[in-house]
Amino acid sequence: METTLLSLAHGFSVALEPANAWYAFIGCLVGTLVGVLPGIGPLAGISILLPVTFGLNATQAIIMLAGIYYGSQYGGSTTSILMRIPGEASSVMTCIDGYAMAKKGRAGAALCIAAVGSWIGGTFGVLVLTLVAPPLATIAVKFGPPEYTALLVLGLIFLAYMSSSSLIRTLLMACLGLLLGMIGIDNMTGHFRYSFDLAELGDGIGIVPVAVGLFGLGEILSTPSAGAVKDIISPRMRELLPTRKEWSEAKMPIARGTLLGFIIGIIPGSAHVISSFLSYAIERRISKHPEQFGKGAVAGVAGPETANNAASTGAFVPLLALGIPTSPITAVLIGALMIHGVSVGPTLVNEHPDVFWGFVASMYVGNIMLLVLNLPLVSVFVSVLRIPYAYLYPMIIMFCIIGVYEVNNSIVDVWIMLIMGVLGYALRKFDFDPAPLVLGLVISPILEQSLRQSLIMSNGNYLIFFSRPISLGLMLVSIGLLALAAYAFVLHRADWRTKLAEVEAGEKEL
Amino acid sequence: MTLRADHVAGAFFVGVGLLIIALSGDLPTGTLSLPGSGFMPKIVAALTIFFGLVLTLRASESKVFATVPWSDAQHAALVVGITALGAVLYERLGFLTTNVLLILALLVIIERRRLLPAVIYSVGVVVVTYVLFVYALKTPLETGPFGF
Repeated sequence: METTLLSLAHGFSVALEPANAWYAFIGCLVGTLVGVLPGIGPLAGISILLPVTFGLNATQAIIMLAGIYYGSQYGGSTTSILMRIPGEASSVMTCIDGYAMAKKGRAGAALCIAAVGSWIGGTFGVLVLTLVAPPLATIAVKFGPPEYTALLVLGLIFLAYMSSSSLIRTLLMACLGLLLGMIGIDNMTGHFRYSFDLAELGDGIGIVPVAVGLFGLGEILSTPSAGAVKDIISPRMRELLPTRKEWSEAKMPIARGTLLGFIIGIIPGSAHVISSFLSYAIERRISKHPEQFGKGAVAGVAGPETANNAASTGAFVPLLALGIPTSPITAVLIGALMIHGVSVGPTLVNEHPDVFWGFVASMYVGNIMLLVLNLPLVSVFVSVLRIPYAYLYPMIIMFCIIGVYEVNNSIVDVWIMLIMGVLGYALRKFDFDPAPLVLGLVISPILEQSLRQSLIMSNGNYLIFFSRPISLGLMLVSIGLLALAAYAFVLHRADWRTKLAEVEAGEKEL
Repeated sequence: MTLRADHVAGAFFVGVGLLIIALSGDLPTGTLSLPGSGFMPKIVAALTIFFGLVLTLRASESKVFATVPWSDAQHAALVVGITALGAVLYERLGFLTTNVLLILALLVIIERRRLLPAVIYSVGVVVVTYVLFVYALKTPLETGPFGF
């Protein structure tokens, strides 16, 4: 404990260096803008801005990119509350009661509660991350190939199980991602696979062109310029403070959202989306006045907004402790660190203490920055939405090209981005969520290598996964989840995931 | 039988799986004790085919294919076409020229904006971005035959 506190103090000395604090601020500012703008989510935002970090050191790069990530969670609430447009997926639930509060003249209060809840959720998440990640990393050092294989299989199954779209759709997306991840030279035998004599494909397909294509360009292709601009409610400064009654109604939902969000954040999948949905459902179920939900219930804003920020921070636990991404966004962050020569995993905390603790401490600092940024400057952020979308998207396409090209100085990557953009557009038409594809792409090399190493270690005996305690435990959880999913699948039972899918599609309210 | 969206999607994934297996012909599968480079791709391709078939079999739950909205397809195709042209020109003309032309084309051809504001906007945005990347962020951008 004492060592952790000393290390954290060192982290603060790193995070508060003027240059690092500046990049945290830039990240939070850009992240808020990314969250505000519909059509450009945190994943595309981080991927597009990756080349901006090339001139920075690894600590500054991760501080800035993480700032974009959690900044976008804050920003996403702004458009949800003021325009009923979720800036990004995790803000869908906030639309319902946030916009209803805005229509009742309580837009400022809703924004303030969302910002304070986000801050509390985010800060709690960082606190637990500080305490949990280092000991978890110590355990993870003992992981061998069978444990990693079992963990990654569990991750994929969890992702599919937790997904709001159907299990089969998620697994198909993950399979497509795994297949894309196998393009290039096979690390174990040196064979070229599916590279069609293109030298650029020898190293495989990068995550940046795929992520930018699917989530940046794909979103632009799916968003016709007409209808992108809507009426905006602009709250005044003096309207920002909630009343005593509103604070009292927000207190417990914030506390519950914090705990729930963090726990779900650790689990693979679109954690921040799922956590906000579950928080909303729980708040409504335990409320003494469920009839107020949908008509401006404070708990309907406080709970989901807190939960999605706590989940964003929770997602960093497996990333920093195990080096395993639980979402496409953390996968891009791993890619960013690798570009800077830092390999993420259990050894990060010992080999790069400046990066690890500087990053953790910067999240405390960043959450305070976001609170200060979001409340007084909300009118400024909202005014960005007055730029006609017709002028906005050509600029985003330009940034997509820069972002993708600059990683490897390769035009092939730009072509991959274009192909992925078209694929992303088509996938949306057929109701597929592209996020598992990106996750599959990232874990593909690790999964393949650990699976093959495990089989070589056991001389071809696949029971190796059931003969070691950690991998056995992980496999049993996987089997349990598959059984649960099969039960719902066979009986055609509509559980909470079906409801989430319907709410996300706007088919019904909770 | 009514053609549904998941019939088409399922068939696509079955096709992808079959294509991967066909392309993996020269990759050794190896054995369980020494898996080759074709081992994992073939497993995942087989899973893709299986899940694709399940999707097709359960397609009755999905929407009718004819109701999938394609009204934005023309807009999307034009954006892809112009961006592809930008990709072709990027290494030949450099960052500045290509992106001015790219943004101008998107604004004038697709969005039907007036020429003068479109020119001012595209030149302004591209020049500011160039200065930001090259001078403030020290990230060199692709140069063309004119040195910029």
